[in-house]
Order: sequence, then structure tokens, then C-alpha cells
Amino acid sequence: MEKNVYRKRGRTRIPASLTLFAVLLCGFTLLNVFWPKREFSELENRKLAQMPSFSVKAVLNGQWQKNFSTFMQDQVAFRDKWIDLESAVNSLVFGKTEEGGILLGDDGWMFTRLFTGTESENAQLEKNVKAVSSFASRYPGRVTFLLAPSASSIYPEMLPANAPMIDEDAMLDDIFSSIGQSADVIDLRPVYHSSGSSSLYFKTDHHWTPDGAYLAYKQFCELKGLQPFDRNAHTAVSVENFYGTHYSAARRWNAKPDSFVYFDLPNPMTIYRITGEAQYEPDRTEPLINTDKLLTQDKYGAFLDGNNGYSVIEGDGQGSILVVKDSYANSFVPYLTANYAKIGVVDFRSFAYGLDSTIEAEGYDQILILYNFQTFISDTHVIYIDRPTTLK
Amino acid sequence: MAANTLVFNSVVFLFCFMPLALGLYYLVPARIKNAVLLAESLIFFCWAGVSWLPLIVILIAAGYLGGLAIERMAKGPGRRAVLAVTVIVCAAALVFCKYTNFLIETINAVASFKLAELSFLDVLPLGISYYTFKLISYLADVYTGKSKAEHSLVDFSAYVLMYPQLIVGPIVKYREISEALHHPESRCTLKRAQDGAEMFVFGLAKKVILADSIAMLWQDIIGTDGIGLAQASLPLAWLGIIAYSFQLYFDFSGYSEMSNGLSLMMGFECPANFNLPYTSSSITEFWRRWHISLSGWFRDYVYIPLGGNRRGAARQILNMLAVWALTGIWHGANWNFICWGLYYFVLLVIEKTFLLKYLKKGRVWPHIYTLFFVVIGWGLFTCNMPGAPLGLLLHQLFIPHGGVSCLYFLRNYAVLLVLCAVCSTPIPGRIWNWCKRHTPARAAVLGASMILCVAYVIAATGSTALYANF
Repeated sequence: MEKNVYRKRGRTRIPASLTLFAVLLCGFTLLNVFWPKREFSELENRKLAQMPSFSVKAVLNGQWQKNFSTFMQDQVAFRDKWIDLESAVNSLVFGKTEEGGILLGDDGWMFTRLFTGTESENAQLEKNVKAVSSFASRYPGRVTFLLAPSASSIYPEMLPANAPMIDEDAMLDDIFSSIGQSADVIDLRPVYHSSGSSSLYFKTDHHWTPDGAYLAYKQFCELKGLQPFDRNAHTAVSVENFYGTHYSAARRWNAKPDSFVYFDLPNPMTIYRITGEAQYEPDRTEPLINTDKLLTQDKYGAFLDGNNGYSVIEGDGQGSILVVKDSYANSFVPYLTANYAKIGVVDFRSFAYGLDSTIEAEGYDQILILYNFQTFISDTHVIYIDRPTTLK
Repeated sequence: MAANTLVFNSVVFLFCFMPLALGLYYLVPARIKNAVLLAESLIFFCWAGVSWLPLIVILIAAGYLGGLAIERMAKGPGRRAVLAVTVIVCAAALVFCKYTNFLIETINAVASFKLAELSFLDVLPLGISYYTFKLISYLADVYTGKSKAEHSLVDFSAYVLMYPQLIVGPIVKYREISEALHHPESRCTLKRAQDGAEMFVFGLAKKVILADSIAMLWQDIIGTDGIGLAQASLPLAWLGIIAYSFQLYFDFSGYSEMSNGLSLMMGFECPANFNLPYTSSSITEFWRRWHISLSGWFRDYVYIPLGGNRRGAARQILNMLAVWALTGIWHGANWNFICWGLYYFVLLVIEKTFLLKYLKKGRVWPHIYTLFFVVIGWGLFTCNMPGAPLGLLLHQLFIPHGGVSCLYFLRNYAVLLVLCAVCSTPIPGRIWNWCKRHTPARAAVLGASMILCVAYVIAATGSTALYANF
């Protein structure tokens, strides 16, 4: 009798794998409920969805459910850790050399995946080259065009084997020869290659380092006959533990942080609100480096306080220069304080007018167009440079 | 798949809907389990809003009343008329929702009319291709006496709408689960819960780890930021279409296993929808192993009623033509799906008339032959998508040419490709059967799979807004 009861109990015992399933499922479900909710994800560089407010109408048309789904996935417990785990499994178990659109190169290098074949970018590149050439031909002798190559074209040996990258060298040759007919061009490839330096670009970010920018700046000074900014005469502040955008996208499990130095300069920068064509109202004045951003994930954003439509920096030199740029210029521009009295900075992504009226109204002597190859071939805002003025 | 669907591989389903739905289902007394299942299925159905709710109500009402009427009526034209009317209602709903815009498009193209397409049909009602087929199979089975009519409206609605089968089937026949449906007190067992949970987890793993990862290889070629099929070398084109074939299999069979696993956890034993189709040694066998519930449906409710093979060879071929044209267009309202169906019609007729006997003698070549034509078939299947027009695909697959080498992609996806190939064979099943006899191994494999699946589900939702400020 008793034996029977025992056997029966043994039979109804919940199987181990079912227990595990139930515990993991219910445990994680409960953990999610009590997990602290975040406003912002530093790693993903975006606002996270919050609990949607309830309304009958939103439920009936499905909007609430949609928002609730997004809320659940954005606020899921250990979200960043789960994504790290997936990336680690992809590289360690599946041996993948690519993650989140980033190529995982040797020696900790990460590169933007820029494969051959994207036709639309070629169409945009043609427009951009034409716009810059046409603009430069209106300002003979005053325009310099500096196009920074991609890290992958300077350190191709670090790329994963056989990666079918676009032929950047040939494209750069074409761009420089077209634009070189109407502007001075700075091709950094010879000096970058001969420098032998391995710290021209960040390994975990898509930007060049302030060192890479300085080498480019020296080329600019050589072209213009200027005395370069003396890095030894200023106090360098070093920033450690920088995990940049490549890291955020790829979450490489064995990534090592980058570090960089900046110079603590007293020059003030005024960021303007753009109220109309060539009409500016000062918004705020601050140092060239926003040290608050050095404490965040996006440390490169400290330079020039990120990308602003129009700002003006007071320099210690003579004359004036207008820099038209993408974010590569942000770590380059501080060096220009040694050479010019007034440095204007325009970023077309927040500046929807042509440039002629601003050059005239603000009286700029020189114009420097500074982009990175990858932005320049695809950015749809570069063509604003050649927009005719709407004034008069 | 409709927008804003409560897919199984989402955080909200896994860690909100599923635990709540299963928990409630287990807690309530047996006599209201079907009602609870129905309520949960309605919430699942209405996750994208209630706009299609009236349609499903009408279809269920038609099926329910039709079944009762057919059962009560004596044999004769009246009974047949009821069957015809109810089947036509179901089929018309499917045809209207799925094919109206395709018809308008075709008419416009052929006769150069300018009829406007119906924009409300851009998002189809969830799972309409599946529950209309379930309803038709039920009505036909009641008519032929293979099953009794369902008298409880709640039980009937729960069968039609049951949420595990709403999105991608399988098309489970009423008679296959009516027994379980009527015995809620005994259908939930620990054994079924365990098997169901394991089936669900492995299905999820197939979908989010294998299918979604290998899918990226095809996207590397034809996707919007891919290298473009026109630039792919011949080996790379093959690599891409093979990866796509793996994706389709693991995606669909994984989802079917999740569905059957969920049903099993609730006590319903549903027949497997896939049985290692890529191990087939003929096209005929392939279609006995691929999407079994659909090919079975067409066999039972189209091919056999039309006479099957009992009315001579010519009639048999005609019946096959009907089945495969319908199978093709069932997969989507586009010409390429019809061509894909007819492609299989031709292959199957060839096999039936003479090839099959040679295939049975071969050992290796029948497998190569089958995989070759199945893979080419998937090329036809996907050629309505941007980036892979059929002419270009065939050119890239068969005419030697230069282009981007396959080396990088082979290296990047090597392990996944091998894993997919191994998982297309019976080997993982054998390993799992061994694990089942060793509790620690069984729990470890299941636990590790669950953790990995969650990582892949969550990582798939990662969207980095990084390049907004390049």
C-alpha cells in the first residue's frame, strides 16, 4: 500500500526541465515588472519607450498594444547585457566577423561596413562633388577642401579577410581631381600612410582621433603657410575609457576602450539660433569642450559641444575662416584658434540655407570644407553649399 | 504577416502574454478552460485593433451554423447547398481579402483600366489564410461524416481562433483535436506540458537563432544596403540562395513548432507541420515533409474530391494542376507564386510519370536533385521581392561571370551554414533523444537554449540611432 503511494508521488513529480522552463519564464516575467525603468539608453543613444497611457480608443485601434510592446522590449531587464550576450555568442560561437553593421577587425579595430555596390550613394556623391566644385569656383583661391579617408582605407590590413569594401582609393582620386580644379584639396593619404601611426582613428568609434585631426591640421597649415598650433604649449587633458559608436553598435565582447587628449583652451564659442537666411541670434556661449559630455557614452560629442547649425569661435590669430563640416571637424577646429581671429562653423544638417549670404554678411576670408569620406558620399545636405541666396 | 502582430518571438509575448495566458489557463477549472482559451485568443487576435473582428465573427457564425445544419439535414441537394454556401462564404472572405488588389492590379495591367486599389486591404486580417482553411476542412468533414458537428459555440470558436495557430497555422483539422477539446479535465498533463515547453523553446531557437541569423546572408546580397545581386559572383549567388532556403525552413518550421508546443502545453496534440524536408530524395517526398498541414489540406479537400487518381491519368494530371495552381496562389497574391506552384506541378508530373522509379534506386543523386530543384524553387518564390528578379537570379546562378567573391561571406557565415545543414538532418533529434534519458543534460540543453533565445529576441530589437549625427 505504502509502496504504491510512494510510486505515485514519484510519478507526479514535476520534471526537471519543465520546472526550469516555468521558473525561468515566470521568474524573468516578474523581474521585468519590478525592474527599474530607464528614460534613456546611453549605449543605444536614444530615448526608451515608457508605459503608454491607457485609453479605450487606443486599445480598440491597436495603438496601445503597439506602444506597450515597444515599452516591454525597451525596458526589459538587463537589456544591455542580453545584447552583449548575443554579440558574444555571434563572435565566439558562430565566429562572425561582423556585428550590427560593424566589421570586427584585428587588434580590436572596428570599421564601418562600407561594401561595394550601393548605387544610391554614387548618385549622391556626384551631386555633392558638383555642388562643392560649383561653390568653390565662385571663390577662387579662398576654398580648401579636406576630405578625411575612412579608417578602413588607412588600415586595410586590419579588416577581416576578403571584406568586399568599396574601392575608396579610386573614389578619393576621382573626387580630388574633380574638386581640385576649382579649390585647394588636401589628400591625407600620403601623410597618414607615412606617419606609421596606429592612433589616427579610434578603434571603437567612427571618428578620427585628435591626433589624426592634428596631422590633417598640419597639412592645412602647410598649404596656407601658417604656423601650427603648438601642442606642447598648452595643457593636455586626457580622457580615458571611451567606448564609441562602433562599440555601441557591435558590442564587441573583448573591446578595449579608446582614450584621447584635448586641450583646455580659453577661447569662447557662441552657438547661434538660425532665425532666417544669414540671420543669427546668440543662443549660448561656452568653452570649446563641453566637459559634461566627457562623462557620458558619447565622449566625442564634447568637441564643439556636438553638431550645431552655426557657431562662431573667437581665435587668437588674424583674419577669419568659415568651416563647413561634419563631425570630423569638431576635433580639428580647436587647433584653428592659433591662426584665425574668427572661426565660423556651419553644419548643413541644421542649416538649411546657401552659404553665399553668410560669407558676405559675416565677412569670411577663407572657407574650409571638411568632411569624412563616408559622410561625403552619402550626405544629402552637402548640396546646400551651392544653394542660391533667397535674399535681395 | 500583419503589422503589429503579437509574434511569439517578441518580448511582450514571451514575458507578458504567454505567462499570463498559460497561468490563467492552468488555474481555472476544467469546464471553463475552453472559454478562457477563447478569450485569450480574442485578445491575441485584437492585438492590432478590432477592425477585423466582425469578419471573424461572421466566419465563425457561418461555420458553426453550417456545421449544425449539415449534421441535421438528410442527404440530398439541400445538404450539399448548405455545404456549398458556407464553403463559398469562407473562400470568398479569403479571396476578397487576399486577392482583390491583385485582381485589380492585373485587370488594370491587362485592360489598362484605372481601378483604384483598396487601401484597407493593405494589412490583411491576421491569419485569414489559416482559419478559413480550418473552417472549410471542418465543414467538409462534417459533410462527409468524418467528424461530428460541434454543438458548443465556445468550443467551436476556441478551435477556430486558438491563438497558437492564428499567425502561421498549422492548419489543424477539427477532428484532430476535437477529442482533447471535449476533455479539458484530462488533456492537461505534466508530460504534455514538458514536451510542449521543450518544443516551444526549440522552435523559438530555430526561428531567432538560426533563421534570423542566416537570413542576413541573403540580405547582405539583395538588401537595401547589400552589395546587390548583379555584383555577386556565381558562387556567392548560390551561397545567398542556399542561405535563403535555410532561412525559409527554419523560420517556418520553427514557428510551427512554437505553435504546436504552445498547443501541447495546453493539452492539444497537433500533428507536426515539417518533417526534415531537406532530407527528401524526391520532390514528391519533399511535399510530404514540407508544410504537411497545407499539402494534406489540398490533398483531402481539393485533390481527392476532384477524383484524385481514380479517374484516369489525364484527369489525375488535371487535378494535380488545380492543386498546385491553388497551392501557389495560396502563398501570396502574385504571379511568381502561381509560377512557383506550377513549377512543382511540372516536377511532380515528371516524377509521377517516369522519374520516381529511378529516384528510388539512387542513393545520393536523388537528394542532390531534390535540393537543387527546391532551392531553384525558392528563387522563384522570392522573385517578387525587390533585389532578386528571376532573370537576374538565374543569370547569376548559371552563367559564369565575375563579381564579388564569396570568400568573405563564406568565412563570416561558415559556422552558421554548417549548423543549419546539420539541423536540417535527423542528428539534433538523435542527440536530444539521448539528452531526454539524462535529466541534467536535458535541463542544461533546455536552459541554455532559453537563455540564448532571449538574448537573440532582445538583441533583434536593438536599434541604434547612431548615425543620425555622424
